[in-house]
Amino acid sequence: MSWKNIRLVFLREVRDQLRDRRTLFMITILPVLLYPMLGLGIVEMMLTFSEQPRVVVILNADDLPTSPALLDQSGIGEEWFENGAEETSKLRVLAERTPQAGNEEKSARRPRRGEKTDEELLAVAHQLAEKIETLHGLRPVADESMEATATPQPTSAESPESNTSSTISSTDKTAEAASTEAKLTAAQNDISQQFGTSGFQVLVIIPKGYRAAMEAMQREIQTSSSATTGVDAKAVATRVPPVLVVRNSADDKSMVAFGRVQKALQSWEDAVRKFSFEQAGLPKELQHPARLAWIEVALEEQVAASVWSKMFPALLVIMALTGAFYPAIDLGAGEKERGTMETLLISPAKRVELVLGKFATIMLFSTATALLNLLSMGLTGQQMSAVMSDGMANRVSLDFPGLAPLAWLVILLLPLSALFSALCLALATFARSTKEGQYYLTPLLMVVMGLTMFCLSPAVEMTPLYSVIPVVNVALLLKGLLLNSASSGNLVVYAIPVLISSIGYSMLALWWAIELYNSEDVLFREAEKFDIRMWFRQLLRTKDAVPALPEAGFCFILILMLQFVAMTYMKPDLTNGDPGLTMMRLIVIQQLTMIACPAVFMGMLLTTSLRATFRLRMPSITAMALGVGLAIVAHPLTVELSQFLVEHQVFPELPESARQVMGLMKTGDKPTWLLLLVFAVTPAICEELAFRGFILSGLARGGRLAIAVGISSMMFGIIHMIPQQAFNAALLGLVLGLLAIYSRSLFPAMAFHFCNNAIATFHAGEGGRIVADGVFFSRDPDGFLRYDAPLLILCAIAGTLMIMHMIKVVIRDQDAKRRGLVPDFRDLTKGEEVIA
Amino acid sequence: MIRVQGLFKEFDDPRSGVFRALDDVTFEVRPGEIYGLLGPNGAGKTTCLRILSTVLRPTRGLVEVDGINVVRNPEGVRSRIGFMSCNTGIYDRMTAWEMVEYYGRLYGIPEEKLQARITEIFNVLQMNDIRDRLGGKMSTGMKQKVSIARTIVHDPPVIIFDEPTSGLDVLVARAVLQAVSSLRDQGKCIIFSTHIMREVEKLCNRIGIIHRGKILAEGTLPELADKYQQPDVEELFFDLIQRREEEVRNSGANSEA
Ligand SMILES: Nc1ncnc2c1ncn2[C@@H]1O[C@H](COP(=O)(O)OP(=O)(O)OP(=O)(O)O)[C@@H](O)[C@H]1O
Ligand SMILES: [Mg+2]
Repeated sequence: MSWKNIRLVFLREVRDQLRDRRTLFMITILPVLLYPMLGLGIVEMMLTFSEQPRVVVILNADDLPTSPALLDQSGIGEEWFENGAEETSKLRVLAERTPQAGNEEKSARRPRRGEKTDEELLAVAHQLAEKIETLHGLRPVADESMEATATPQPTSAESPESNTSSTISSTDKTAEAASTEAKLTAAQNDISQQFGTSGFQVLVIIPKGYRAAMEAMQREIQTSSSATTGVDAKAVATRVPPVLVVRNSADDKSMVAFGRVQKALQSWEDAVRKFSFEQAGLPKELQHPARLAWIEVALEEQVAASVWSKMFPALLVIMALTGAFYPAIDLGAGEKERGTMETLLISPAKRVELVLGKFATIMLFSTATALLNLLSMGLTGQQMSAVMSDGMANRVSLDFPGLAPLAWLVILLLPLSALFSALCLALATFARSTKEGQYYLTPLLMVVMGLTMFCLSPAVEMTPLYSVIPVVNVALLLKGLLLNSASSGNLVVYAIPVLISSIGYSMLALWWAIELYNSEDVLFREAEKFDIRMWFRQLLRTKDAVPALPEAGFCFILILMLQFVAMTYMKPDLTNGDPGLTMMRLIVIQQLTMIACPAVFMGMLLTTSLRATFRLRMPSITAMALGVGLAIVAHPLTVELSQFLVEHQVFPELPESARQVMGLMKTGDKPTWLLLLVFAVTPAICEELAFRGFILSGLARGGRLAIAVGISSMMFGIIHMIPQQAFNAALLGLVLGLLAIYSRSLFPAMAFHFCNNAIATFHAGEGGRIVADGVFFSRDPDGFLRYDAPLLILCAIAGTLMIMHMIKVVIRDQDAKRRGLVPDFRDLTKGEEVIA
Repeated sequence: MIRVQGLFKEFDDPRSGVFRALDDVTFEVRPGEIYGLLGPNGAGKTTCLRILSTVLRPTRGLVEVDGINVVRNPEGVRSRIGFMSCNTGIYDRMTAWEMVEYYGRLYGIPEEKLQARITEIFNVLQMNDIRDRLGGKMSTGMKQKVSIARTIVHDPPVIIFDEPTSGLDVLVARAVLQAVSSLRDQGKCIIFSTHIMREVEKLCNRIGIIHRGKILAEGTLPELADKYQQPDVEELFFDLIQRREEEVRNSGANSEA
């Protein structure tokens, strides 16, 4: 590998990209301009489309007490609002007063087109008030009736919480006898409709004689408190009729205005109370017996941090991918499309050098795009918060995060964009044209976006498991680091697995890209027309002894989807009968119909030799012995490994459903043969037919056995769903795959699977009669059989020896095959004797 | 210089399993000679030349270029050949000079020598007026000139032309053919594929007629005319192909029967 060539390719590609106006615009100019423009736009919008004033109609405003006065000349007094004049200006208060010469002229306001005049508004308000009061039985027909129906407590009556809805529920029952339900709803519909078109958003109805009642109450409190006679305070209070505040919760405008009116009324009410208390000579402290004080501990930079901790990781991930996306398509598929690929391949540069040069280019653009976006957005945010905090009482300052988090940002960005660059390059190389490249890359973009959204949720925090999931690990670590620099000490521990795994993934992706560049099928694929009917006919007509690669992939997807369906629709009914038996029956059914059936059917339909596909050949005795032996030594290792991982919280605890199944093995009320049949025999047959049979045969066709075994075991892990079991299954899948390849037969793998599951069943059932001796075996507090170091070491040695032996044999066979001494898979149907 | 012996190339075909694009191809090309590979569309010419240039790997058979095996040392072979075809593209956002320079550097030519060499080539091919023109703004003829310049920038002993004149007008095609023949006069070993008889007649010292992956006849033009008793290449070509088609049809019928 020569650095000179890599550099040459790199420099050319960078120059090429820089000369491409579209790419340049997408990944550099756009972010630099986008955020300031967006920011400017938002500020502009806020200035132009500042909130329109909402109309509040106050009926019978003359009846409000004057000390303290709720209303002043222009509307509700500034002093009742938290933010003073600013909020006053957002409400247009139309207070109904008895006409006086002076007032008349001032309130005469020229309505704009389409708006109602004040008189019209008041007329509507009166109609509404009448309807509402009759509906809720509040119309003061006579003194007695009012006393009987009005809500009793004066505080709640005055406070806006006693809005119409609460009144409805309390009066409903009394009204039920008089009017039918239908009438009531009709009336309510009518009111709602009229309110909607009324032209005002909040209606405040001050009852007749409100001021007089209030003053009477105040006087009474005064005399009662000075005389300290036991006058019933309740009796006093009920004489003050409630102020009705009408709103429409379904209308945002009404809700916003209502919120303002409510706050003002509350502080006004406080003032009224204070005034009454003063008049009565009561101590002020009585007003707020529970003294409360709110203290804000968030520093300004932390507020900023919490904003950035959400924005930056998401933006970083998405922009790193976007930045890789466009150059990758151009460098991969674009090169094929323009016909320059072949020229490049003919140059003496090695494929690796070409790939690395291209990869470095894409990574440069990916990193640059991400950083430019962050920088531009950060600066814009800072600028905007400065602009906005002038006008508004908005104390969020969006200062840039500190140096340390920024350094982390850059460090974590590198493996992330390496991963994206390599992935994009590989996919773009695989594509025949730029259009196809976009088809391949769009799903990648969606998946990554989904993962990022997942990380944005505040509930999701870093765990050991997340620290090795690509994309998620970087996003979560960054989120944590940006959120709280103080506690980042704990998180930094995760930096190691995050970095190592991210670098690992990017290496894998890069390796894949290099592989693709070495594959002539990929480089010289001809775009061909695709006809589904033709394709299907071809599929059935041109069968081979063993399944093709895509068929194996399809089989896996089919099994996976069936599992998914089963998870949602096949919930066992455990309420009647024997729940254990029901569950066991279900397990067997699932195994047979959703794992074995798809594989066997596909095998019958798509291959010519079931024998070759499912490896139905007599194994040697050695192979069978290896299967059994490996199962025995693998068991303690897997048990201890998964215990270790659970204890270190790499995997979550088993979910309830899995524990129920474990419980079945434990209780011991089922006969042993049944347990073995359900948990060992069935999976050994069904899962092996599917995974080491159909799927592995298809995958191994590519000739790369190691990859085939790896992928098949990963698939095997994935269908186990529960992380812990999936991990175990994937590990064992490697051994099973090796066994199948080594012996060219499915039976040793079945034997392994059977023994492994059988032992696990006994293990779950408290490990039989094995005595804990403290050297080889021990028991944990739950009575679970555990294995100790000496036993584990012995097992590991034995296992390694057996695996080494198998690998050696497989490699020898492969060599022989390559030299043409052994017929390849096409002759396997008849030629298996050659090996045995 | 070029030695091909018992060459087979099979592609995986979704329909029939394997497709044999080259079937036991054998020929040799010596320095100072132009070998013409004549065949209809889909005969396997491009496949054969791609194997010579190491971008495809042979399924079986021996292929040597300048004494170097294409499977064992593909990089070595690539530095000794120039390859040009009708669709070896030009980068749109690179000027003619940059393009040739880029490949020169990939071939590892020392910088001063490279500049001198490019200047010389640009003079010979009369390309100085398009020196700074971007690839995207060139006409097909100009592109083809750049391609030739790129092909010979490292002065390779073996040059492979895959239908270099397809899609060109008469004038440009003529210029290309002249360039090819002057390269032969410099003692290069040249293999030239085409389906145009006249080019073969004018240019080639020896020809091989290829159809369905098999070489049907091989030799100098007079030799072939002698052997098959046909007046000109065109007649010879049709005759051979017809005979081969019949053979295939018969064998197909036999195997089905
Ligand atoms: N990568 C490939 N995969 C599968 N089949 C291929 C591939 N490349 C070429 N072929 C097939 O091999 C045969 C020979 O193709 P080739 O391109 O060598 O023909 P050719 O003689 O160059 O024809 P033309 O005059 O059209 O250029 C064709 O039938 C083609 O379909
Ligand atoms: Mg061709």
